[in-house]
Amino acid sequence: MDMKFVTRLLLLITVISLIVLPTACGPVATAAPQVLRVNLAGEPATIDPNRASWSTERTVIMQVFEGLLGFNQDLTLRPVGASAIPTLANKGISADGKTYTFKLKPNVTWSDGKKVTAKDYEYSIKRLFDPDLAAEYTSFYFDITGGKAYYSAAKESAEAKAGLKSKVEVKAVDDTTLEIKLDNARPTFLQLMALWPVYPVREDLVTQFGDKWIEPPNYIGNGPFVLTEWVHEDHITLKKNANYWGTKAKLDEIQLKMITDVNAQFAAYKNNEIDMSLVPAGTEKATMADPALSKEILRHAELTTFGFQFNVSKPPFDNKNLRKALNAAVDREAFINNVRAGIGKPAYSWIPPGMPGYDANLGSDYHFNVEKAKEFLKAAGYADGSKVPELKMQYADTGTNPTIAQFLQNQIKVNLGINVALEPMERAAFTKFVNSEQHTWAWFGWGADYPDPDNWLPELFGTDAGNNHTTYSNPAFDALSAKAKVELDNTKRLQMWADAHKMIVDDAPVLFMQYRERFRLVKPTVKGLKTTSMDGDVCGDMFFYEVSRGE
Amino acid sequence: MTKFIIRRIFWLAVVLLVVSFVTFSLMHLVPGGPWDREKELAPQVVEALNQKYGLDKPFLNQYGDYLWGLLHGDLGVSYTRQDRDVSDILAQGLPKTATLGVTAFVLAILLGIPLGMAAALKQNSGLDYVSVFFSTIFASIPGFVLGILLIIVFSVTLHWLPTGGWGKPEQVILPAIALAALPGAYIARITRASTLEVLRQDYIRTAYAKGLMENIILLRHVLRNALIPVVTTAGPELAFLISGSFIIEQLFSIPGIGRLFVNGVFARDYGLIMGSILFYAFTVATINLVVDILYVVIDPRIRYE
Repeated sequence: MDMKFVTRLLLLITVISLIVLPTACGPVATAAPQVLRVNLAGEPATIDPNRASWSTERTVIMQVFEGLLGFNQDLTLRPVGASAIPTLANKGISADGKTYTFKLKPNVTWSDGKKVTAKDYEYSIKRLFDPDLAAEYTSFYFDITGGKAYYSAAKESAEAKAGLKSKVEVKAVDDTTLEIKLDNARPTFLQLMALWPVYPVREDLVTQFGDKWIEPPNYIGNGPFVLTEWVHEDHITLKKNANYWGTKAKLDEIQLKMITDVNAQFAAYKNNEIDMSLVPAGTEKATMADPALSKEILRHAELTTFGFQFNVSKPPFDNKNLRKALNAAVDREAFINNVRAGIGKPAYSWIPPGMPGYDANLGSDYHFNVEKAKEFLKAAGYADGSKVPELKMQYADTGTNPTIAQFLQNQIKVNLGINVALEPMERAAFTKFVNSEQHTWAWFGWGADYPDPDNWLPELFGTDAGNNHTTYSNPAFDALSAKAKVELDNTKRLQMWADAHKMIVDDAPVLFMQYRERFRLVKPTVKGLKTTSMDGDVCGDMFFYEVSRGE
Repeated sequence: MTKFIIRRIFWLAVVLLVVSFVTFSLMHLVPGGPWDREKELAPQVVEALNQKYGLDKPFLNQYGDYLWGLLHGDLGVSYTRQDRDVSDILAQGLPKTATLGVTAFVLAILLGIPLGMAAALKQNSGLDYVSVFFSTIFASIPGFVLGILLIIVFSVTLHWLPTGGWGKPEQVILPAIALAALPGAYIARITRASTLEVLRQDYIRTAYAKGLMENIILLRHVLRNALIPVVTTAGPELAFLISGSFIIEQLFSIPGIGRLFVNGVFARDYGLIMGSILFYAFTVATINLVVDILYVVIDPRIRYE
């Protein structure tokens, strides 16, 4: 086998040199195709824009499709398919904030040359609410008039569904005008309109190919790349869209591999099979010390906060001062340095830096201070830690979670003398456990769906909100949230969220731990990569069309 | 013999039925369902999803629907794979997993049997010690450790072979070795032990005594009889190899069926779980049947009535 391989290798080298040498010496060398090789970390569950909800799926969709709006690198909005961002001033938003009118650029086309019209958007958004499609991100768009009623009609007859569909207030007034009506003002609605679920979708393709419309060559988008190949479970190939209406991509091709194991991903990167990689947890310091790899490190902050959420209905965590004592008793700097290899920022509040509402001065009571922690403990009614019953903490038994849990256990024991019992669980079972609020205290994280406190406060801390698993309930917070959600004056709105954020930090339903930072390797020949703080597992995927390959 | 085979096929169907019921029940009993996400889905979304996939029906109805589909060759759809048919997903992954599995199996047999025989025939020689040493080592190293070692040496350091993926012949080499090591070592040890036992039998002494040529004794009497325990273990090994190894497929990014079951369990992808379990049960039962038939060919004393 080896002999055969060596012979093959020699043959290959000869052939390559025969091809390469003459051209290299010749006067005109054709440029090699510009290819970016990226790992997608697994088979996407779907690449149907309306249905997708995971970051791997988003990575594919964002190359092939574009919406009316998009994000800049700093996560401010920019018009893409729309000719301008609707505002009160340009009459794109009605005075009551309930009607949005998008004017489309007239020259945007699908990759097969057809024009993208307002009808394509109308079709897509109505399809998002189709109960038979059961799209996962739809609830974000329930403010659109008629949407929730249509989506909730899963058990109704076909006629009833058709009737409800016609009542969804999304209308193509003409080819370049799209009008959307909302039940109530929603100042963050434009950010939602920059996300993938409302990218345009072609009705003719969905009708003709059904579920198979997401396979090449049926999968036609309006973005800078086209899907040319999808070998399930193995790889996806995207090629430059030669018919792209705007500035064409610099890359000729993007290869998306599906390596699910992070060790294998790292090895493939070192063997020059992919151009970007995560590194296995625990090898970050070795990577930083490696003379070659250290030059290829790319670090960037992400809008994600990690912490231990208390179930504030369960004693002793119903005691606010105990929660504060625990918050002050954990050395976050040591956590970042020893457990996270120096990657990430200590968190003393909920909203992360880079998001409106972040305040570096918040949570100063929670900076590591054993004396302060003991004062809080006294205020909580415990003379010392030994009087506190054993605390139970649950976590999903995957990755580095056991180390994180042991760190907490040690800190609380050493600094306050309180025993913490660790209760690891299988991941899906743990998720169910927390979602049904059976936990007492649990490790968790929250990442941004869109960069606004609107996505960070009411959804997690509003009374009975969908993702409120601390069971926190504060009428003052609820009242303020309700006002902030619909406030059209942005300055006032952000101030309200800042005030609401203060309430959360003060009541400490969470032991805030860390703002996430991403640590990756990127080959130095990848030029022009632009990361944002909302990137998922594949970094820079919002702007791959600006990437090129250099020497 | 025909009667025996028919009876076994009947029992195969019973086994599959029991396996399907037990798996289906366990899957629904385990805490956490397919829509339990860390970022919880809105109740309307969960309701729509349950309706779409029929998970809102009572348990026995769901099982009945599944069985009915199964009788029509329909294994249901996968929630995490674009609603594709589970049978399509298995059919796409199977050739890859089987190619890898058969390669590894052939490798294990080609290395294991000669090595084990040689060691037994030259018992307590240098060759025997080397054979026992290596078979002990390979039987003890877990596949993923060996796999990582192979990747580090042959891909990352020497750059001779790719770290993984599928489609080119060179991508089969490392995973096949990693996969073959354990069964190869095991087969070598069994072959050695059973050959030693056969060599001590009276009929071998008789064969020598009546002056048969050594080669004929070894091939016709020793090898044939020594292989019975090997066939017994090689059968399940083959079933195991061609139904895929999660760890090796994960490590070498092979788009086979080995990864599907474990990924399915983590995601509570009911269709994938049922499909892979039934496929595995079917493969093991079928290969056991083939092994039982092979006994008759190898050992003239065995007869099925």
